[in-house]
Amino acid sequence: MRKSDYKNMWVYIEHGGVTAAPVGLELCCELRKLCDATGDKLYAVILGELPGAEVDKVKECGIDGILHVSGTGYEYFNTDAYANAFTVLSRKYNPSAIFVGGTINGRDFAPRFAVQLDTGCTSDAMELEYDPETGDIQFIEPAVGGKIMAVITVPVLRPQVGTIRPGTFKYAPTGAKENIEVIREEINFDPAAIRCRHIDFIPDDMDPDMDIANADCVVCVGNGLKDSEHLERYRTLAKLLGGKIGCTRPLYDRGILPYKLQIGQSGVMVKTKLYISFGVSGAVNHTAGVDAEVFVAVDKNPDAQIFNYCDYGIVGDMDEVCDELIEQLRARRS
Amino acid sequence: MASYNKLTPEIAAQLRAVVGERRFFVGEAVDPNYGHDEMPIYGKHLPEAAVDVETTEEVSEIMKICHANRIPVTCRGAGTGLVGGCVPLAGGLVLCTRRMNKILDYDMENLVVRIQPGVLLKDLAADALEHGLMYPPDPGEKTATVGGNISTNAGGMRAVKYGVTRDYVLALTVVLADGRIIELGKSVCKTSSGYSLLHLMVGSEGTLGIITEMTMKLIPKPICDVSCLLPFRDVEACIHSVPKIKLANLDPQSIEFMDADIVTSSAAFTGNPIFPETVNNEEVGASILVTFVGADEEELDQKMITLGKVAEKAGAMDVLVVATSSNKKAAWSARSSFLTAIEADTKLIDEMDVVVPVDKIPDFLIYIRRLGDENGIRIRNFGHAGDGNLHIYCCSNDLEEEEFKRRVKIIMDKAYTKCAELEGQVSGEHSIGHAKMVYLRESVGEDVFRLMSDIKKVFDPEGILNPGKVCDDTLAG
Amino acid sequence: MLKILVCVKQIPDVDLVKMDPETGNLVRTGVPTLTNPLDLNALEAAVQTKERFGGEITLITMGPPMAESTLRECLAVGGDEAILITGRPFGGADTLSTSYTIVKAAEMKGSFDLIFCGKETMDGATGQMASQLAERFDASQISCCYSIEDIADGKVRATRTLETGKEIVEATLPCLITVEKDRFYGRLPNLKAYLAAKTAEITTYTENDIDGLDPEKIGVPGSGTIVPRIYPPELPEPGQIINTGSVRTDVGRLLELLAEKDSI
Repeated sequence: MRKSDYKNMWVYIEHGGVTAAPVGLELCCELRKLCDATGDKLYAVILGELPGAEVDKVKECGIDGILHVSGTGYEYFNTDAYANAFTVLSRKYNPSAIFVGGTINGRDFAPRFAVQLDTGCTSDAMELEYDPETGDIQFIEPAVGGKIMAVITVPVLRPQVGTIRPGTFKYAPTGAKENIEVIREEINFDPAAIRCRHIDFIPDDMDPDMDIANADCVVCVGNGLKDSEHLERYRTLAKLLGGKIGCTRPLYDRGILPYKLQIGQSGVMVKTKLYISFGVSGAVNHTAGVDAEVFVAVDKNPDAQIFNYCDYGIVGDMDEVCDELIEQLRARRS
Repeated sequence: MASYNKLTPEIAAQLRAVVGERRFFVGEAVDPNYGHDEMPIYGKHLPEAAVDVETTEEVSEIMKICHANRIPVTCRGAGTGLVGGCVPLAGGLVLCTRRMNKILDYDMENLVVRIQPGVLLKDLAADALEHGLMYPPDPGEKTATVGGNISTNAGGMRAVKYGVTRDYVLALTVVLADGRIIELGKSVCKTSSGYSLLHLMVGSEGTLGIITEMTMKLIPKPICDVSCLLPFRDVEACIHSVPKIKLANLDPQSIEFMDADIVTSSAAFTGNPIFPETVNNEEVGASILVTFVGADEEELDQKMITLGKVAEKAGAMDVLVVATSSNKKAAWSARSSFLTAIEADTKLIDEMDVVVPVDKIPDFLIYIRRLGDENGIRIRNFGHAGDGNLHIYCCSNDLEEEEFKRRVKIIMDKAYTKCAELEGQVSGEHSIGHAKMVYLRESVGEDVFRLMSDIKKVFDPEGILNPGKVCDDTLAG
Repeated sequence: MLKILVCVKQIPDVDLVKMDPETGNLVRTGVPTLTNPLDLNALEAAVQTKERFGGEITLITMGPPMAESTLRECLAVGGDEAILITGRPFGGADTLSTSYTIVKAAEMKGSFDLIFCGKETMDGATGQMASQLAERFDASQISCCYSIEDIADGKVRATRTLETGKEIVEATLPCLITVEKDRFYGRLPNLKAYLAAKTAEITTYTENDIDGLDPEKIGVPGSGTIVPRIYPPELPEPGQIINTGSVRTDVGRLLELLAEKDSI
């Protein structure tokens, strides 16, 4: 295999037939920059039918072309047909890299076609850089619980496959290029050969307390929390601030709060006006999930990394500071 | 009826001069939490002022001022008590030791550590482990101060093997009511030298003096440990296994009892169902958690094998092993969430902490449940089966507070009488405070109660130390 | 009878792994190990499946010899036999070569109807292994399984958890399943099984014991990815720390600042 035979980068546009999932658009916007550096063309890959207006939205993200696949087998997501489509396309067009949004389904099928193509697959990169010497993409991601950053590359094989978590990159469309190339491909996958078939979908009841991604204020509780007994005051504080409570991964692991409240790269990415962390050490995996206008950190360890991310920090006992905040907020309002 | 003086601005100024502006709080500035402990049902009483002390000398100066002016002083640690022990019934000054939280030094030759009273139990435990040592007492509330543990003679889960806090206090520095500083005990393991005022001080709940420094005994850290969970179909079979386990010569570190109801609450609360609610599709009525420590895995395996035989004879549904670090962590956090789990789904709560002879536990539990049923109060319980110490919670979500208190009083009056009949004690480890003074008096009898009050008068003739607690009935009148 | 395979991994306690500031290497010596927590959920799902539908559970892991203790821990909970793949040439493998190795080793024991995996490991956290194993086993896959409704006529009917709801799917055997943490909480082993597991026989495969193993496809040579370098995260400049010595004053000051920014 000669790496130089492999050109251009692809982004998978995940969709449910109605709208394009944000992660695909985010990836196009980010990869535009990378392709400008490498000289590759950027293609969006769409499997199955997507309304024109949504396709236009994809075009706004700076792509050079669209690979539009029609045929049988794409009505609902299924690993077999979706992985197969990428394998077939990749063998035909030899892309240098394929990016897939790290949703549950994206993470389900991307590693699979990487095996079919016998190539390297990375997950959860937070930064992408191009190394002109080797011609490889550097996938940079936190590792070992956020203690280190690791640079990962696919040094020999192609395409370079990467799944990237939703919210990692910003949706900042640069406008549609002229003469976007549209390639149509028909790849039929026999529906009878789909080994894991979609039967039904039952949407979750929306519990507003569980929907923290765009809350005005988020009170985030970290591993400094002694036990669930001490949690109530943070709910009280969140309520007083018109916000919601969230947590870091260790709290979810300890069974104290549910996964939907876990903020960070492997949980929810939050965009909020005010974010206050209590007892959060500040691992990169967590802070990567916070986009706050004002970031406040409270922790007893003055050297905690979280203070590097905050606008304002208080060093002290998290419970004491929370109680005091509640008291003074109440006093201000009465 | 005792009479105390108000804390005038002049006295406040004198007190402030001792510690400085930042550690003295008066009126509005006093932390409202200083008016209660963790059992708010016994009422709230705010002090007139509060002080965060840092040294023995400061405590001494403050006591001199309060003694001269007849200002009541209530000592407070982390405020995690359950009987109102740190609540300033007569107002006055709260003297808080939370800033005296230094671990001063270890004597690795004699296995002792010198600490200040405000050191938290969990911090001492963790620090000792880092030194390869263990502080054996293990009360459930890890955020309590060790000073508070001494003042209440706290017990905890490991009492079966290692005894209680009292057994680990070697020496104390104490400030008396009039400000004199005394040293009690020595850093040695034997003494036959007159009355043990040291042991009088342990469990005295801040009524005899203020403890400002302590020397505690430690032991080498056990090399390995394992726990076994024994589920039973019902409480009776479960409790009846305890004496059999104790007789099997296994020297367990703890034997904990948990009712099915509390296991369910804790699983729902923590999302951590480590203790099974069914075994082979059969419902578990109650479980026992037995913990062993040993020199190596083989020793522990042998103990478990013997325990398995005893358990089978005693009718255990199974013997489950808690051996991996993650399971130990999960079991520990479930066990320590019991009280919290109760609090989380209960509006009104009152508790008792009786000790009865181990074989009398089922009698007592059956009796108290009947009382609960008769009076429309939900009874929930768990406790240290190995030493007969039961934590019993009276709970209600729909009664008005006054009605709840009325009914709970009926239950408590009868339950403490029953406890006395069974040759039990009023409190195993939570102590007396003001909540249980009447029951203490009934339990020990008038002669003993008077002796206690007379001793209190020797130490504190003006009655300024933690008025209205343990055996001081002067406020009640 | 279903033949069930459960893939498990022994990992270092991530909280205790440190980076050597001098060499930039990860310091793992002396760090306690544990069984990847999500693998224990997978094991529980397998044990429940065996209890409901009948079957035999084989455990498999790749790692240093001490990974044997993870297999024993799992055997105590509910495995019938266990395979340890160990040997220097396997070291440094990424998911591409690990999945190859595990499938080749598992094939030594015949074919499997169901394969259970944790969703991801706490140390590597790529979450790729399951899909890649499924591909190499030529199996269907049900990721993020919330519940298994039925297994009959060569099919699994199950519910998956997606971002916004539950998907009901039907998959043909062989099928690889990854499970949700919150649904299959691991059980405690009973004493008999715990003691039996201590002396149970474990099949150990080195690179010489696995039929048809291509040395180019294992360990580092078989990996698609490499980690050319690691470095400590670059930290932004610290924010404004409010520290007056009194919680009350600190909080008061913070609230003033937040009020100025119109944040409260």
